[in-house]
Amino acid sequence: MSTEDKVKINKLPTGVPGLDEIVGGGLPEFSFNIIAGAPGSGKTTLAHQFVFANATPERPALYFTVLGESAIKMLRYQQQYAFFDPAKLPGSIRFINLSQVVLEKDLGAVFEQISNEVEKTNPAVVVVDSFRTMVREPESDLELQSFIQRLALFLASWQATTFLIGEYAEEELRDNPIFTVADGLFWLRQAAERNSIVRKLQIIKLRGQDSVPGLHTFRITGAGVQAFSRTFGLTARKRNPPSDRRLCFGIPELDKMLGGGVREGDSVLVAGSSGTGKSVLATQFIAEGIRHGEPGIVAVFEERPQAYAERASSLGLDLEAPQKDGKLTILYLRPLDLSVDETMHSILDAVQKIGAKRLVIDSLAGFEMALSPGFRADFRESLYRMIFALTGIGVTILSTVEVDESFTEFPFSTYSISFLTDDIIRLRYVSIDGQLRKIMVVIKMRGGNHAKDIREYEITSKGVVILGNRLTNYQGLISGIPVHSERSGPEEEPSQNPKMGTET
Amino acid sequence: MTTSPKTRDLARWLLNYEAVSAKSSESMESVTLSVYEKLRQSLSAFAGVAAFEALAFRALTQAKSEAPSLWAVQVTEDGSLHGLGEFEPQIDIDKDLAGKFPAGEGGIILIARLLGLLLTFLGEALTLSLLRVTWPGAALDDCNSENGRKA
Repeated sequence: MSTEDKVKINKLPTGVPGLDEIVGGGLPEFSFNIIAGAPGSGKTTLAHQFVFANATPERPALYFTVLGESAIKMLRYQQQYAFFDPAKLPGSIRFINLSQVVLEKDLGAVFEQISNEVEKTNPAVVVVDSFRTMVREPESDLELQSFIQRLALFLASWQATTFLIGEYAEEELRDNPIFTVADGLFWLRQAAERNSIVRKLQIIKLRGQDSVPGLHTFRITGAGVQAFSRTFGLTARKRNPPSDRRLCFGIPELDKMLGGGVREGDSVLVAGSSGTGKSVLATQFIAEGIRHGEPGIVAVFEERPQAYAERASSLGLDLEAPQKDGKLTILYLRPLDLSVDETMHSILDAVQKIGAKRLVIDSLAGFEMALSPGFRADFRESLYRMIFALTGIGVTILSTVEVDESFTEFPFSTYSISFLTDDIIRLRYVSIDGQLRKIMVVIKMRGGNHAKDIREYEITSKGVVILGNRLTNYQGLISGIPVHSERSGPEEEPSQNPKMGTET
Repeated sequence: MTTSPKTRDLARWLLNYEAVSAKSSESMESVTLSVYEKLRQSLSAFAGVAAFEALAFRALTQAKSEAPSLWAVQVTEDGSLHGLGEFEPQIDIDKDLAGKFPAGEGGIILIARLLGLLLTFLGEALTLSLLRVTWPGAALDDCNSENGRKA
């Protein structure tokens, strides 16, 4: 059977930002779906968004309410959302209450009323909210299953895309025969973690197309439900082949240590303790990119964009003009309760909006602190996904991380994230000749050779300036308490045409 | 607290419209019941009988405080109205057409209260949408006109 012979399943927009990506491009037309979750998890709002996105006067939506929230109250609250268009009622969206027939008759009568309304209206979308309240003792789940099966067959034959909404606890989702009938099963959950609410969405099943597996964060705001795909919407994009192009810092000695600069599409970690100049280095990296016509994004968590730009200005770096020209965006991401995926979506949106080639995350510690406590457990995993996604499309990422200065070890990061990085530049204080000086060393470059030199540097009005040659007269520099020695050696020149993969 | 003049005008307009539609001299009771019954059918289908009954009961309670002549009126379990008209005067369709429907009458007050609750809960846009479905021929946008009929 060739591809042309196969039936084409149209995909309908869900009306929920981010959800189309999660369900694999849109909801399959004529599918029979169940939205399950606890009260308050956003089921009705999600269904409303779908209805408002798809209902037309020619193919309207029928929204059946049963027991529970009355349509009057439901609409009173739902109309507060931005997606709610009152002009669509009642021409395109019709609300019908089934509570009387549910209370006075049986599921057969409920089916009859639904089928009568469907035959009369020929709807494109049917919602039953909530189907679980239809069942009363002694009616059983078996009876409900039979009703749902009948309804599914009927609505599919009438070419309606259907949502049944039901209140289910997590444990009820397992092995529930009712769910076998559904083509799509959406599970929404919310949980309180410490002082924050964490909302997650899972597509437990979706027949006919590939959905993105796993739990996806979602948020309910004045715009309605917004979902954040775990893959950040970049699954469809091909990864760029590795590039040999080098991106400079504009600090000649450092660029030389890096073999000409960091490789395009690398993830660079600048690690050091407070005051070692991590942010200065990051700012120089962004400013140098702008000088070369490479748009950049700076995600800051510890200071406001204005303060960041002013500090750059004190180093002779103009970040105001490129912001006005659309070449630079400084994102301030500080609100608490932010999910890691939301934060990363903000960064990704900014990257895609200006076509950024360089991204600075300053700093990872600030990033983590900006997240709601419940999301901090996902931090490393989400960071990995974002770095993988962005570097795959050729964005070079420089992250700063603060490490506790130790005189017994030489840590690169408190996050155990060095595996996420291609290149690591370590800054640290050392005690030399009665002074607290600063040294810099390139620890790792995945894409090529780099200098092994330990270099002293200063932070001046022109930014980071590397002083003299490598420090050959000291031993134990990385301990922070070096010992003076008379031995000296030649400065090492890294290859300007580094071989790929020589460093792992 | 009474209903706003605008809501009362809307109620009066609906009663006038219904009276004109009947094309014969109707009692106040009959016209009010007709408007009320259409609202009941429409709202019960949309929001459920229980929701309508609750709204209607509240509207009647409010209306009774304004119009003591409604003292005998009751809302039944299915939301329908009983006891209306026992003390209501006949209305004159000719006067009605001239927009001289007597203000302050129980029928107008009751319908205005019901509309007032809908406006409070649903807002103007959705309430008018609902009324358009209930009275498909009525030009509700022109409810200040004499008879509000579409051309």
